[in-house]
Amino acid sequence: MVPADRDLVVRTQDLRFAYGRRVAVAGVSFTLARGEILGFLGPNGAGKSTTIKMLIGLLPPDAGSIEVLGLPMPARQREIQARLGVVFEEKNLYPNLTGRENLTFFARLFGRHDLDLDALLERVGLAGRGDDRVHGYSKGMRQRLTVARALLNRPDVLVLDEPTDGLDPVSARSIRSIVREEAARGAGVLLTTHDMHEADGLSDRVAFLNEGRILALDTPEALKLRHGERAVRVRRRVDDGGVQETVVPLDGAAGERLRTLVGSEGLLTIHTEEATLEDVFVDLAGRRLE
Amino acid sequence: MDRVLAIAAKDLRLFARDRFFTLVTALGLAFYAIVFWLLPATVEESVPVGLHLPGLPQQVLESVTDNTDQGFALTVYPSSQALEDAVREGEQVVAGLDLPAGFLDPALGITDAAPDPDAATPTVRLLLAGDVPPAVRDALSGVVRELALTLTGQPPPVDLPPEEELVLGVDRAGDPVTVREQLRPLLVFFVLLVEMFALASLVASELTQRTITAVLSTPARVVDVLAAKTLVGTGLAFVQAALLAAVTLMLASRPGLVLLALLLGAVLVTGLGLLVGSLGQDFLTTVFLSVLFFVPLAIPAFAVLFPGSPAGWVQVLPTAGLAEILARVAADAAGWGELWPQLAQLAGWGVLAWVIGAAVLRRRVVRA
Repeated sequence: MVPADRDLVVRTQDLRFAYGRRVAVAGVSFTLARGEILGFLGPNGAGKSTTIKMLIGLLPPDAGSIEVLGLPMPARQREIQARLGVVFEEKNLYPNLTGRENLTFFARLFGRHDLDLDALLERVGLAGRGDDRVHGYSKGMRQRLTVARALLNRPDVLVLDEPTDGLDPVSARSIRSIVREEAARGAGVLLTTHDMHEADGLSDRVAFLNEGRILALDTPEALKLRHGERAVRVRRRVDDGGVQETVVPLDGAAGERLRTLVGSEGLLTIHTEEATLEDVFVDLAGRRLE
Repeated sequence: MDRVLAIAAKDLRLFARDRFFTLVTALGLAFYAIVFWLLPATVEESVPVGLHLPGLPQQVLESVTDNTDQGFALTVYPSSQALEDAVREGEQVVAGLDLPAGFLDPALGITDAAPDPDAATPTVRLLLAGDVPPAVRDALSGVVRELALTLTGQPPPVDLPPEEELVLGVDRAGDPVTVREQLRPLLVFFVLLVEMFALASLVASELTQRTITAVLSTPARVVDVLAAKTLVGTGLAFVQAALLAAVTLMLASRPGLVLLALLLGAVLVTGLGLLVGSLGQDFLTTVFLSVLFFVPLAIPAFAVLFPGSPAGWVQVLPTAGLAEILARVAADAAGWGELWPQLAQLAGWGVLAWVIGAAVLRRRVVRA
């Protein structure tokens, strides 16, 4: 759990938004602490992107309140956005500008004229490619450049919408590493992803969204304990030469059954099993995440 | 302000890196200037007319063919058939007067004999090429009638002394408006329209590539984006139109008035560029919408090419004020006093187009 004394950088209360008659967000409340990574998980249309748009000031909520760094959004939008870094799902860069020109332009919008862009480009693995036009970049390079853009103002809150979607493993690992570094620096990180393993490995807490509502919000371990089933899978060779597999749920009777299985002849493997976040979502929403 | 300048500088850089628009802009400007300077700088005011008049002395013939006071350049043909052939070919003359032998003798004082009242009425043949304008046809008929009155010894039914001839406005006799001068509003219009398309394309790509979303997630506001786009769109259109105006000698008369009209025209196409770019989903839609606007907006500039006043509905089109200002400054050196209604009309359309374009872009940006 998140320590109670940590500074909150984001606090939303009962956020609501509808596109015409279609309700996209139906009462979302959550907090994000300094140095915390909060993962937003949910299927397409769950309300993740709309929530993010409201959080970063691109959409005014129909109802509810947003407080970022102690300031109300959208009333203090400009001050908040000056301390916000955003990585969008789409690689929305200017393809006819170079990587460096893209960064210089956005740095000017943040009022930053004294940045060491070489260091930033190196940090995201684009050293030596900063003067190439972006239309020649691979998907992974573009994504790393959008991450660099989000770091231009040393943000106190970093919002990443599907930051590793469709990336090669090396690029994805590089971005995850930067996300951890930013959280360690003290930035609050809000991350949406489809990747359960990424959310599990990266997030301090996870919020499951479905149909505009948060179904559950807790640490991955707590969610898995609460909504999943842990078990031990035992494989052993039996008398006719075949392999028998037995799954023993970790309930009150598990000790006795496991002692029996482990003590029997022909034991091959023993594996502990726990629920995945996918299982948790299925348990909560009654449907798969895709 | 720094954010507006940052966005404007970025837009200019993107414009400069767009090969299509830089090529179209540069080639367009060069092409328009070349077309202007290739067109004749003078107007042939005399209408070439053929004449067949058997039995006329050579001395009289020469004096007749040298005289172009009536606005006709006369060429004498030896026979009716030769005159007919020349008119039919239409290369040397566009009309012909086939007069019977001795027709002009009384008028030229070759004979003192009084006309015989019992003689048959002489027949004059007026030969016309198919494409002769009605005005020339009427003028030639008038000449024949005048000759007839002279031959019968009767004065014309009206008296038109030279001192009663009033020229309203600048007297362009001997210095008529040339085709290339009439073409200038259209050339300016082409330049402005290309810039409208360039701005629309810039706006459309900003929306479709969602870069606008990234911009608005920084401390930059929609109003900064609008200001920057207006600055770039108006600046590009105005500078190019002013450059063309300078190259085509449009600034020789009333430069302040012409430049203000061009600036207002640039504001107008900027507003339309914002509108088209906001509505365009991709390059092709943007092209389609630009063409949709192009046609009605081009009509006033085309109307200047043809004589007479344009229809009432043409005069209320957004570009009518601009076309009329450029045309009248060139034609009769009209000034602020005469052209302020056109300036006001152009300014009104410019503001309206900008407000609509900005509102639609703002709406698209918020929904992006």
